[in-house]
Amino acid sequence: MLAKLKPVLFVLAAAALAYPLMPFSNDYLLHVVTLVLVYMVLAMGLNILPGFCGLLDLGFVGFYGIGAYTSGLLTIHYGMSFWVIVPLACLNGALWGVLLGVPTLRLVGDYFAIVTFGFAELVVLFLTNEIWLTRGPLGLPGIEPVSFDFTWLNPDWYFELIGEVPYFYLAVAMVAFVWLVMRRIEDSRLGRAWFAIREDTLAAASCGVNILRYKVIAFAISAGIGALGGAFYARWSLFLSPDMFKFWESFLVLCMVVLGGLGNIAGALVGAVVLIVLGEGLREILPILGLAPETRFLAYGLIMVLIMRFKPAGFFPAIATASARNPLIKDLKKRLAGYASGEKSGTAA
Amino acid sequence: MEPLLKVENVTKRFGGLMALAEVSFEVRPGEILGLIGPNGAGKTTMFNCIAGVYKPTSGDITFAGKDGVVRTNGLKPEKMTGLGIARTFQNIRLFGALSVLDNVRVARHCRTSSNFFGAVLRTRSQKEEEKAIIEESMRWLEFVGLAKHALDNATSLAYGNQRRLEIARALATGPKLIMLDEPAAGMNPRETRRLVDLIHAILDAGVTVVLIEHDMKLVMHICQRLAVLDHGVLIAEGVPEAVRADPQVIEAYLGRGAAHA
Repeated sequence: MLAKLKPVLFVLAAAALAYPLMPFSNDYLLHVVTLVLVYMVLAMGLNILPGFCGLLDLGFVGFYGIGAYTSGLLTIHYGMSFWVIVPLACLNGALWGVLLGVPTLRLVGDYFAIVTFGFAELVVLFLTNEIWLTRGPLGLPGIEPVSFDFTWLNPDWYFELIGEVPYFYLAVAMVAFVWLVMRRIEDSRLGRAWFAIREDTLAAASCGVNILRYKVIAFAISAGIGALGGAFYARWSLFLSPDMFKFWESFLVLCMVVLGGLGNIAGALVGAVVLIVLGEGLREILPILGLAPETRFLAYGLIMVLIMRFKPAGFFPAIATASARNPLIKDLKKRLAGYASGEKSGTAA
Repeated sequence: MEPLLKVENVTKRFGGLMALAEVSFEVRPGEILGLIGPNGAGKTTMFNCIAGVYKPTSGDITFAGKDGVVRTNGLKPEKMTGLGIARTFQNIRLFGALSVLDNVRVARHCRTSSNFFGAVLRTRSQKEEEKAIIEESMRWLEFVGLAKHALDNATSLAYGNQRRLEIARALATGPKLIMLDEPAAGMNPRETRRLVDLIHAILDAGVTVVLIEHDMKLVMHICQRLAVLDHGVLIAEGVPEAVRADPQVIEAYLGRGAAHA
């Protein structure tokens, strides 16, 4: 089925990439699409924990917030380039992931979920109350937009990214990068160790997987990707405030991952598209119906109930799908096909 | 001969319950040792102590691994696997959502080393390692006769084959000792016969076998030596013929008085 859809998807992707350059392109629409792309990054990042490792993380937005404020503060105080800030923000996110993960990842199930929830609340409280650093509820205005500085090549080559179009392409590049990283991890020793932990922790340990270490690695990578999304968001929205990183955001990203199918990277992308487009759509439609825009949260809740009732595994439940594309596995598949048609397998027993 | 695994005065308490009391026995390289006893005798607890799932309350477990004799009490399961002790589980514990091949590939984890950067950058050494992992995994799948199912989902296998897959996964960790927890449970006679052949093949591959089993015919047939547990106490150890005639063993299985009947 997917093979048949491939040309269609290809055309759609090409159209989406070309759209911003068209004279009829619309800034609002581009803004929404860029937001979708940011949430795609977040959903792929979160997917590592509940999807790959089976750890319920309710505090993902904490790392998103850490990334965003790292990016915002470094820009305002030190005027650093976006390209320097991105790796720093990712490392800062990963650092906090490790600091939180090492003591708490010994917990399992609901207990762990509560710890992560508490962490996200702590981040918001910190951002709200440490006014000397974050200006608290006033927020951080006046963050510089992303720029390319090639003045060392030619004094005239300084480009500032203004408007939605360049950010759209930047976000596309970011999604593509994270997608590639995730697909490669999924089909690797690291990814298999995570899936093993998710499927059966004891069996994974007796295969030689150091459970705590691999959970911490998962937490760090997930946090780093969350911070990447935050770093981009800060330089795109040019304003940050603590209430952008409330628990609700964690829940939204978790819904995207569950909706798409836990552990499926493509599913996380689809989940991001569906929930963000739905949210924006309802924001427009509900006032027409005479309802407050906030009632859209009811719709989110209803959708989650319906999904859990009718598609508990999400739209794309398959996991570890990347390895099917690995040339080594394709080669093995051919060998097995030859095997089945040829002589019966000679086995030891 | 130097024993491969030595269990000395191992006691395991769960609160007030004494699951194992001063149990001592040894496993010699190249043998099949049967660990038997009635239900609740502490056989699986013994396995878990050896495999690092539980830490013995007291006593010593030593294993003659690659780096000489090591005292292994309290080492974590992944460490024990690294030292060369692999195990299967009484209730099958496969990675259900993964393919048959992936189940075995996970087991190569402890013998491979590529990390996050290797995975993302797809370095040459990572690619070569992946290739070797697939080759080795397929070798063990062929060994247990599941090669043609390699890309199927693990849960789609028939029951007997799921047991064989667990054995393949354990073997793929490159062990010196494999511990099988009731490998024949729920198998039909044909599957059991194939299992006996498989266990002999494992031995021929240079891996020592310890098994827990309730199928007495199987145990008497394939084990060189038996150790019998009852209520956490080792009541007999020796060749099957001697153990079968031991009055204490008969009593444990059939009740007091049966030995004299």
